[in-house]
This record gives sequence, C-alpha cells and structure tokens, in this order.
Amino acid sequence: MSVARDRARYIGRRVAQAVPAILLIVTLNFLLVHLAPGNAADVLAGEAGSATPQYMAYLRHQFGLDQPLYVQYLEYLKNVVTFDLGYSFRESMPVRDLIFQRLGPTLLLMGTTIVLSIGLGVLLGIFAATKPGSLRDNAISVFALVSYATPLFWVGLMLIVLFAIDLRWLPTSGMVNIAAFYTGWQKVGDVARHLVLPAVTLSLFYMALYVRLMRSSMLEQSGMDYVVTARSKGLTEHAITYRHVLRNASLPVVTMAGVQIGNLLGGSVVVETVFGWPGIGLLAFKALFARDLNLLLGIFFVAACLVIVVNIIVDVIYTLLDPRIRLR
Amino acid sequence: MSIVNRRDFLQALAASSGAVLLPNGAFAQGTPKQGGTLVMDVLPEPPTLASYLSTSGPIGQVSAKVYDGLCEYNFDLKPIPSLATSWTTSTDGKTITFKLRDGVKFHDGSPLTSADVQFTFMDVLKKFHPRGINTFRALQAVDAPDPHTAVFHLDTPAPYMMMALSGYESPIVPKALFAGTDIQNSKYANNPVGTGPFKFVEWQRGQYMRFDRNPGYWRPGQPYLDRIVARFIGDAQTRSAAMQTQEINYGAFGAIPYFDVGRLTKINGIASTTKGYEMQSPIVMLDFNTRVKPFDDVRVRRAISYAIDRKFVIDNIWFGFGKPATGPISSNFAPSGIYTSDVHNYNVPNGTEMANKLLDEAGYKRKADGTRFEIIHDVTPYGDEWQRFGEYTKQALAKIGIKATIRYEDVPTWLRRVYTDYDFVLTSNWYQNLADPVIGVDRQYSSWSIKKGTVFVDDSGWSTPETDRLMKEAAIEIDPKKRAALYHQFQKLVVDAAPIVWVFELHFVTVYDTKFKDLIVSPLGTYSAFNQAYVQS
Repeated sequence: MSVARDRARYIGRRVAQAVPAILLIVTLNFLLVHLAPGNAADVLAGEAGSATPQYMAYLRHQFGLDQPLYVQYLEYLKNVVTFDLGYSFRESMPVRDLIFQRLGPTLLLMGTTIVLSIGLGVLLGIFAATKPGSLRDNAISVFALVSYATPLFWVGLMLIVLFAIDLRWLPTSGMVNIAAFYTGWQKVGDVARHLVLPAVTLSLFYMALYVRLMRSSMLEQSGMDYVVTARSKGLTEHAITYRHVLRNASLPVVTMAGVQIGNLLGGSVVVETVFGWPGIGLLAFKALFARDLNLLLGIFFVAACLVIVVNIIVDVIYTLLDPRIRLR
Repeated sequence: MSIVNRRDFLQALAASSGAVLLPNGAFAQGTPKQGGTLVMDVLPEPPTLASYLSTSGPIGQVSAKVYDGLCEYNFDLKPIPSLATSWTTSTDGKTITFKLRDGVKFHDGSPLTSADVQFTFMDVLKKFHPRGINTFRALQAVDAPDPHTAVFHLDTPAPYMMMALSGYESPIVPKALFAGTDIQNSKYANNPVGTGPFKFVEWQRGQYMRFDRNPGYWRPGQPYLDRIVARFIGDAQTRSAAMQTQEINYGAFGAIPYFDVGRLTKINGIASTTKGYEMQSPIVMLDFNTRVKPFDDVRVRRAISYAIDRKFVIDNIWFGFGKPATGPISSNFAPSGIYTSDVHNYNVPNGTEMANKLLDEAGYKRKADGTRFEIIHDVTPYGDEWQRFGEYTKQALAKIGIKATIRYEDVPTWLRRVYTDYDFVLTSNWYQNLADPVIGVDRQYSSWSIKKGTVFVDDSGWSTPETDRLMKEAAIEIDPKKRAALYHQFQKLVVDAAPIVWVFELHFVTVYDTKFKDLIVSPLGTYSAFNQAYVQS
C-alpha cells in the first residue's frame, strides 16, 4: 500500500520538476532556432520562384517576422503555456493539429521498433551470453555488429529492392495503399504490411545495441556472489539464468531504452524519408529547412514532454525489476 | 562499384517482372474510356493548395486539376478557349473582352459568372498572387456588363497578360466563398472549390491528396480518370522503386532523378518525355555579383563565360537533358520570334584560351603559383546535380587560374545570402523564363528588379538604362514583329555585358506509366488539368 503511495507521490514530484525543465528547453530552443539565417518568408517566396517586394513584406508581416525578437518570444511562451502551439503559416494549419496527425504514425513505428529491438536484442544477448566464445556467440556478435555498422538508408533501400521490387511481397513506401482506400480490418492489415520494412530497418540498428549490452551485462552478473549462492543451493542453471541473472541484467537495458527514445525520434527521420512514412521526424526535418519555426518549436516541445514521460516510466520500471531501488 | 552492381541487379529484376506488360508504343491511339486511378508523385509536398496565393511549383501540379483558367495554351504557345470561349482586343490594346462559357458550375454547384472573374482578377490575383501583382499591373478594372461577359480595362497595352490566364497561373475562384472574408487566410485555401475536372476530397499530411472525378465537369464525358492521388515520397531512390513497382504512375519536374531515367525507361511499361515544359523554360546559370571585384569588370565576366564547357555539363551532370543556352531568353520562344541566337557566342572550342587572354587584359596576371585570384563559389541548394556542377565549375575555373572554394548551404541561408545580404561573388542558379519575358526575364535584368530582400529577382545588381528602355517598350508593344525586334536588341546587349553565364536550357523530364494516355497535351504539362488522360486497358 505504502509502495503505491510512494510511487504516486514520486510521479507527482517528477512532473512538478518537469515544468521548469520544459520552460528552459522551450527558451533555449527558441533562441537556437532564431540563430539560423534566413526565414520562412524567404523560403516560401523562394519556392514560388518569383516574388514582388509587396508579397515579401506581406509574408513577413503575416508571419510576425517584422516584430522584435522579444515580442515573438513572449507570444510563443504564451502559446506554450496555453498548449496552443501556434500556427504553421507554411502548412496553413494549427501546429497542434499537424503534430497530432503525425504523432500516431510515429508512435506506431516507435512502439513496434522498441518491442522488436528490445525483444530480439535481449533474446540474442542471452543466447550469446549463455555460451560465451562459442560459434553461436560469435555469429550473434557479428550479426549485431553488421546491423549496427550498416547505414540505415542503405539497409532500407536493400530491403525495398529485395522485398518490394524482387519478391513483390511488400510495398515500397507509404503507410496505406493509396489507390485502394481500405477501411476496417483491411486497413489494419494494409498498414501492418506497410509497417514491416520501416520497423525492421529501424529495429536492426537498435537491436544491435541491446544484444551487446545484454550479453555483457549477463556475463557480468553471472560472476556475482548471488549466482554462486544459488548454484550451491542446488538451483538448475536454467532457473539461475532466467529467474535471477536475467532480471538483474536487464536494468542497463531498461536504462538504455529510456535514453534511446529521444534518439529514436531523430533516428527515424532517415527511415521515414526512405519509406515515405508520415511521421513526426520527417515533419521536423521539413520544418527546419522551411524555417517553419512555430512548427519546429512545437515538435521540440512535444518531443521534450515525451522524453520526460518515458524517463519517469523507466524509473518506475526499475522498482518493479529491483525492489531494492526506492523511489525518492 | 556496388552501385553499378545494384543497378544491374535492379535492371535484371525489372526485366523479369515487367514481362507481363505489353511493350512500349505497341498501342494505336485508342478511344478513351472512363475509369482508373492515377497516382502521381509530387515533389515536395505542397505547403498549401491556395494556388491563387502562391506560385510554389508543387501546388500547381495538383491545384490545376481543381481550378480552371480563362484560357489554355497550345504547343505554338497561343491561348485557346477554356472558361472563356472567345476574346477580342481593342485596336489600342487597352480593352480585352472575354465571352464566358455557359453552364459552367463550381464544385459546390454554383454557376460561374463574370462576377467571379472580376473578383478573381481584381480582388485576389492582382492583390495577392506573387506573380499576379506584376502580371496584372496594367489591369485597372474588370467590368461585368452581363453574366457571361468580362471586360478587362488596361492603362497600357499588356501583350504578356494573355499568356498568364491558365488554371495554373490565374485560377478562377468562386466569389461567393471568398468575398468579404480574409482572402489570405481563407478556409477554402486547403479545401479548394473550382470548376476543374477533379474535385478535392482529402489531404492526409505527409501521405497523399485525393481528387475524385467531377461528374458535372463542363466538357461532356470528361474527365476519364475516376481519381487522381498525389503522393509525396521524400527519397529519390524510393520514388524510383515505387515507379518500378507501379505504386506511382507519374513523376514530373525531376521527381525521378536524371540518373535513373535511362534505367527505368528501359523497363517495359515505363516511358519518359521532356514535353510539357514549354511554358517553364528553365535556364541553368552562374550569377555574378557585379557590384564587387573582380566581377564588376566585364572582361572578367566574359572570361568566365568562355571558360564553361556547356556540352560537358549537359552530358555529364544532367545526363543529356538540356541544350546550350545562348542568352537570357530560351529558344522555346523561337515560335513567337522573340528568341534570337544572333548574339555574341561564348560557347567556342578555344574558350579556355580566350578566357586566359581576357583575364590578362583585365590585369589579373597569374602569380608564381599559377593562380590569378581566389573566390568562393556558392552552389544553389537544390540537389545533387548542382553540387556536381559546382565541382565542375571549380575545375573549369582552376584551368584559367581562378581558385574557387565551394560553399553549400541550405535553402534559407542561401536565399538570404544572395537576395538580401548580397554576400556572394559567384553562385549557380536557375531561372524559368515562364510564359513571357515580361513575367520571367525582366525580373532578372531590370533596374526596378534590384530589390533587396525579394527572392529570385536581379541578384547580380546589373542593369543599364538602354536595356531598361527596351524591356519597358517591349512590355507594351502589341505588334509582335516590333516586339520581337526590341527583344532581339535586348538579348544582344545583355549577352555582351555578360552579367550572368547562361550555361544551358534545362529539359525537365516526366517519367510515366505507359498505360496512361494523353497525360501531356499542352505546354503546361503537369500544370494542366489531366481532363483528357485515360487508361488504356
């Protein structure tokens, strides 16, 4: 009972601490993005390939670029505090709507990737660690190393060549079959088919990290005193590995997973580009090159919130894995 | 090496998988029948669908399916009827009377009248369209004496205006939905209502836009396609792969990279064309900043004009998709007589020799290390070909003793440097001549186009009173012969002064699925309505 209360109090305190952190992040982001030369009006007119001075002045005025920086900052701060993230003039849509449209596909890709990469990584790590130095261990290590060292875009393209062009099993890109407009379960199946290649591409990279981490962590734990004790009390190797060593060895993997969430948002830009996956990474990338600062800051804000939430979850998972860890 | 192998591999795959399709060109011209979905790749995803507010390229590729204009154009670059069935111009060129088509309805069911035309030109295009502000500068009023007559009143003749009336350039919007609202922030910006052959259905950001057949379209029986879907795939290799698996059927304006065009079109069922860009006429150039040393000296500018091997650039960097440019106006204007090749020719076999001589004359002698001076060469940030072109330019300049360092920045930074800060000496660039020199050429050479902070105008800072006068006179000259003569003189003078190196006329390429017929039927190509396109079963 008191554990649950501790946990609730802990989460409440962490959320309270997150508020100033987020405000600081928002301020830093604002200053950083305004350091970049050129602005949205230049880009929008540049894309048009032609412009008149009146048109440029009109764009600058509409985007609020003719205001002093501190006015723009206060305006933005007001938007953040009220969770109205402003308006993307380039996309003619409120930033909040744009981000929420894209958050679904990103979370789907991220979620699948996390499950696949951690699942496979932990499994292969255990296989490797239970027989260190064996052929199996070496094969797994080589596989992990190659997956890690190969550029994501290249893996993606090779998978497209093999599975989309050659075998024609899977589509090359996108999230749904554009010409079909499926609904219901057919749509779910369609999205799943489109998800396979990007999720596998992204998972291969992150899986490699978890394999290496899990393997070394398992080996380290297996030399600990409690393993010797367990063995001397007559437990089977199987029980030692899966009930005791595994649980302790997964702590670093959970830590790593927490840190990786932030990376995953960024790392998926490449995969989203190659597979035309309509995620938030691609949106951020486009916003940067268009100097669509409202949108860019909105994405940073959402990403910061996401990372903070995930880190709180990771801390809670620690206590589940290792009851000795207390939430303070 | 691995790339070559991969291409061979792809080709082998394609040969086996494409075998079910009939070979290219095996069809006789058939009768169009209704049905089918065309999936086109649009690059990049349009920022909005408000083609009456923005001329951004990708917008036009889709908006032209929804909006009609008063005119369409044939391959002789002459206006032909669309929403306007006929027009007459007064002898002084200052009054143009358009007769509008009867029975045309907007997608919301309301009829098209001259009030919509009046509103579109006076309250939307002339005020807010980035090019319209200039194109319709002479337009003072539009009268609507009856629902099917619109009378344009100009303060000076404007022969170029008739070239800017397509559904892409000047889309006719319904007055009822826009009047009295904030036009720049209309709710119909991304929910367009036009009179065109396809109705806007939905836009899933980052994924696709969907347009369905408009059964009430004013051309009976058309359009033939049931649906057009625009997709946005960011990666060039993926676009090629999707074209190969027929997930996309159409890609224009370099959506399929030049290096892949040859490979893809060898596959049965995929073809390419460079037709349909006659009203764009892009020219690849090197712009000098003529305000600063060393390019304030015409001899140095001419030297560099001599030093660039046009044919090498076309063949090796753009895979043959182009032809050498002679000056500021594209040879696509030959049919109207505006273009002339009778100008100073820098594209000569002994160009390097000529260049070295000119630089010696200009006082930039070679130093002990063989160089004359150093510059930074900015590269326009629009893709890989431009980087290759930058590398070529560096080598060509090295041959004449100029040491160039390449600088490659992102689009906003480059635009700011070239058009606001003028902090450059030599940059690659490209301009489209568009439908008429007044719209696409004047902006680059006239004193009134040297506007700090406005993009894609006169960045070189060059102008002369004489060329200014020629452009002004040509803009209001209604006799085509006299107009052509003015432009011939203009081309001669500009080429002599060499404020820019005109390298070559770029040929855009469209790659498409050959089961679709009659996609490109006008010089506007992808910027047209696709109402005649059909699927050959």
